[in-house]
Amino acid sequence: MTITLPHTATPRLVIPSLSVPADAVAAARDRFGDALPDDPGGDAVVALLANGADRGALGAALEGNFSHIVELTEDGDANGLWLGAPSLESAFFLSLTTPTAFSAQPALLICDTLLDRGALTPERRSPVELCLHEAVANGVVHGNLGISSSAKDQPEGYRLFSQLVNEQLRDPACRRRRLEIFVRWNRDELMMSISDEGPGFDVERLRLEPDGSARSGRGFMFMRALSDGLTIGAGGRCTSLRFEV
Amino acid sequence: MEFTVHFHDQMIEAKLSGRLEFTDHDRLRDIVSIIGDKGTNRFVLNLEGLQFIDSAGLGMILILQEEAEQRGVKLVVRRPQGDVRRSIDLAKIGEIVDIEY
Repeated sequence: MTITLPHTATPRLVIPSLSVPADAVAAARDRFGDALPDDPGGDAVVALLANGADRGALGAALEGNFSHIVELTEDGDANGLWLGAPSLESAFFLSLTTPTAFSAQPALLICDTLLDRGALTPERRSPVELCLHEAVANGVVHGNLGISSSAKDQPEGYRLFSQLVNEQLRDPACRRRRLEIFVRWNRDELMMSISDEGPGFDVERLRLEPDGSARSGRGFMFMRALSDGLTIGAGGRCTSLRFEV
Repeated sequence: MEFTVHFHDQMIEAKLSGRLEFTDHDRLRDIVSIIGDKGTNRFVLNLEGLQFIDSAGLGMILILQEEAEQRGVKLVVRRPQGDVRRSIDLAKIGEIVDIEY
């Protein structure tokens, strides 16, 4: 789906729930698994962001109570798993390109929104934000940019790692990949799922307790310690977090 | 993340502020470059003004520790606060790096 944005203040798209292609729904369910409820939801009210949206644009869209917020790629493409995700009360879906997910601090902005909507208390914000931030970081760096943690393991590996990050952020294929976040809540729970378009990894080999001197690997440790539920699915491409609130 | 640098006798103190996270990967070399500067043998990483640190930021602290050791410099982390302290304690960074609370 290629879209050219009109020159209006808040480009938006309304997608009737019955018009969503079945294969889009299947693709979303395949990726997000149990994180997507069976409820098909209502009509989607989609906020469209121009490619390269900054924190201000993303924050404004989150304040707008849209069911889906979708950033276009540099080619005007809007394809992503978001199309198959339902529009529900007390939920929203965010679909960003890799550079924006890297730079716009989506975890911070999402938590600001959840606070404003009463879905998160100030006391619970810190662990929720850190967990979401770690999942986003993993999805961006190891997923969409395809950079292994082992890049840091050699002497002065931090220089190589930094070089790789900058190179991959310029790569057109990496820039087109999406980092997609589904958030929903009720009176008792807050649930978030973060999906990337990277190569995935062998979840069985994941060490949730890295040794103290390891240069990497603490992200999942934080997520397991600070959340009330952590699930890794889709071959490592989808991290789901649950918090009791 | 921002940082300021202060020299005291044989010590350099880098005071960090803001957030230290994965997007700060480019800043690490800036901090590494001042370890052992001007013949100092002690490097203090003051985190009192730091509001947020992620796992990548913790990894950067460990890299700074290694770089300091290679230069014969003693690295100390000073006054982590709030959520930053929680993350440092949770990750048991104190087993590797000297921390002054």
